[in-house]
Amino acid sequence: MNIENTKAQMRKGVLEYCILSILQKEDKYTSEILETLKDAKMLVVEGTIYPLLTRLKNAGLLNYRWEESTSGPPRKYYGLTETGKMFLKELDTTWDELRNAVNLVTNAKTTKK
Amino acid sequence: MNKTVNINLANVLFHIDEEAFKKLQRYLEAIKRSFSGTTGSDEIIADIEARIAELFQERMENDRQVITLKEVDAVIKVMGQPEDYRVDEDIFEDAPKSEPSATSRTKKLYRDIDNKYLGGVCAGLEHYLGFDALWIRLIFIFLALSTGFGFIAYILLWILVPEAVTTSQKLDMKGKPVNISNIEKKIKEGYEDVAEKVKGVDYDKMGNKVKSSGRTFFDALGTFIMFCFKVFAKFIGIILIITGAATLIGLFIGLFTVGVLDIIHIPGIDFYEMVNASGAPVWLISLLAFFAVGIPFFFLLYLGLKILVNNLKSIGNVIKFSLLGLWLIAIIGLIVFGIKEASAHAYSGSTTVKESLYFPSSQDTLLIRATSSELFENQEDVGINGMTVSYDENGERVLFTDDIRFDINKSTDSLSYIRIRKDANGSSTSDARERAGNIQYDYTLEGNTLSVSNYLYTPIKNKVRDQEVRVTLSVPAGTHLRFDAGMRRYMGRVTRFDREMYRGNIVDHLWLMGRNGELECLDCDDDKRGVRWNSDDEGRIIIDEEGVDIKIKDGGDSFKLKIDENGVEIKADDGGL
Repeated sequence: MNIENTKAQMRKGVLEYCILSILQKEDKYTSEILETLKDAKMLVVEGTIYPLLTRLKNAGLLNYRWEESTSGPPRKYYGLTETGKMFLKELDTTWDELRNAVNLVTNAKTTKK
Repeated sequence: MNKTVNINLANVLFHIDEEAFKKLQRYLEAIKRSFSGTTGSDEIIADIEARIAELFQERMENDRQVITLKEVDAVIKVMGQPEDYRVDEDIFEDAPKSEPSATSRTKKLYRDIDNKYLGGVCAGLEHYLGFDALWIRLIFIFLALSTGFGFIAYILLWILVPEAVTTSQKLDMKGKPVNISNIEKKIKEGYEDVAEKVKGVDYDKMGNKVKSSGRTFFDALGTFIMFCFKVFAKFIGIILIITGAATLIGLFIGLFTVGVLDIIHIPGIDFYEMVNASGAPVWLISLLAFFAVGIPFFFLLYLGLKILVNNLKSIGNVIKFSLLGLWLIAIIGLIVFGIKEASAHAYSGSTTVKESLYFPSSQDTLLIRATSSELFENQEDVGINGMTVSYDENGERVLFTDDIRFDINKSTDSLSYIRIRKDANGSSTSDARERAGNIQYDYTLEGNTLSVSNYLYTPIKNKVRDQEVRVTLSVPAGTHLRFDAGMRRYMGRVTRFDREMYRGNIVDHLWLMGRNGELECLDCDDDKRGVRWNSDDEGRIIIDEEGVDIKIKDGGDSFKLKIDENGVEIKADDGGL
């Protein structure tokens, strides 16, 4: 079993949740989303995000608008739809539960040692 | 020095050097392939291209800077390998990168041009059949040497089996599933191959050298043979196109012309009326003929186009089979009409009229002359089997021909007779006899002049059915005969006469009907009958029943030999001696 794969899978699993969270406060364009994710070390390569964004958009969780850019091609600004906001809320609770669960399990493991 | 290419990435212009461009292209291709089939793949690719454009812009200091491999590599590092784009449901599988368990994937037969000696046929069969290519090659060579079959089979396979060019074809050939990681693996192998070749230049092992030079030779030979084949095929294709097109155009014009002529009914089309036995309209026959001849040529044209144009769109099975059906119908139709037409000629019949002729004085010379007709002036240009259409004095259309033969023989008694036999063909004997009876033919006797028509005619409804007239004049022995020059063309073969001359030349002389039924020439230059080998002022050789008469003169010398009932006479004169 490849450790890199496992890491990538873990990250990919919560990636959708992270993207929705980033867009919670304001609309952002792809590069900004990428920046945030990369700063947080959630993302190693950028390629992963494009299919994800399209999938979320097709699922009706995101929408986007075009904005002209002073430097370079026009930018796609993504934002949450109403469904997206509800979806995010649900994911928030799930994540809290999951984090607690993981904490519990991992802490138990460390105390055992 | 490197070539640069201009590319448009998300509507932004970039100068990129060729190698970097190729790498970027491969990269985008690989990504595209990994998304093929997923919904919104175009959108994803557009987003990715836009991001790559953005990344390039960030890295460039000015507009004129050229993107090199370094920039492309950096961008690929940021964007990630094609596998990183996978976010399908299967990302949580235990080992997403391992090859999926061998699904029963059917192999396809391709020519393996990477491992080829000649055309890659055997190498391709190796993948397909699972034997070592060496054995397949040996089998082919054995078959080629023993029967020649191997050679033909190889050439056929070479032409028919496509070569595995793209990575997915190569994977198909080996029966491996086409997925992104396999394609990547193949592409990497490709790079390594190239790299090895570049490195290998310096320290090629001797054995490898032999092999590679062998391959280069067969490569060149193979390319050359294929080139010749292709040129030959294109040549054939061009010939097929020209043949097909020319025939079709000709047929179109022909069909149009005949059709129009039939509609406005100008007289030129009468020839059809002259022969037509089935009563089918002319447009039907010409249409059937058009399809019967045109459709095969259309397929020839199509075949030629197919050879010349590789990716010609098929005309579709429906059209193909309809054309085939139409063709069969046309052929059957023509056969039916053909049989009808042929059966119209199946039987021949004749009517014969025999009449006595009374000459005022049998001692006078009988003059035989041919009478012509105005019908010759009125005839049209259209004719079949020597019969043409003309108009008689009432303006009726008639068929007429000068198929007349005139013969003379000895009468069995002291009277003269004329016998006129009229022949025609028909679908039955009685039909033929009726047609023969409808033939109009005249002769007149005025004093000692017998005038026979040099033509016959029949109403056009009788059609062209090999109508002909044979006139036989029987005269008692001792009758003197003279011919008008107009008879020259109509003398028959049955007439016997005692000269070696063309039948037609009879008309130039005065004849006497001999007791043996042979005409004797009364005013021919040479009063001797027989074979004349040579005759001029200088000498002659005559051999006949009277003997041999040879005279030779050569300058002052002369030689004379004569053998007859008086014995042998030889006289030689040697100059002045």
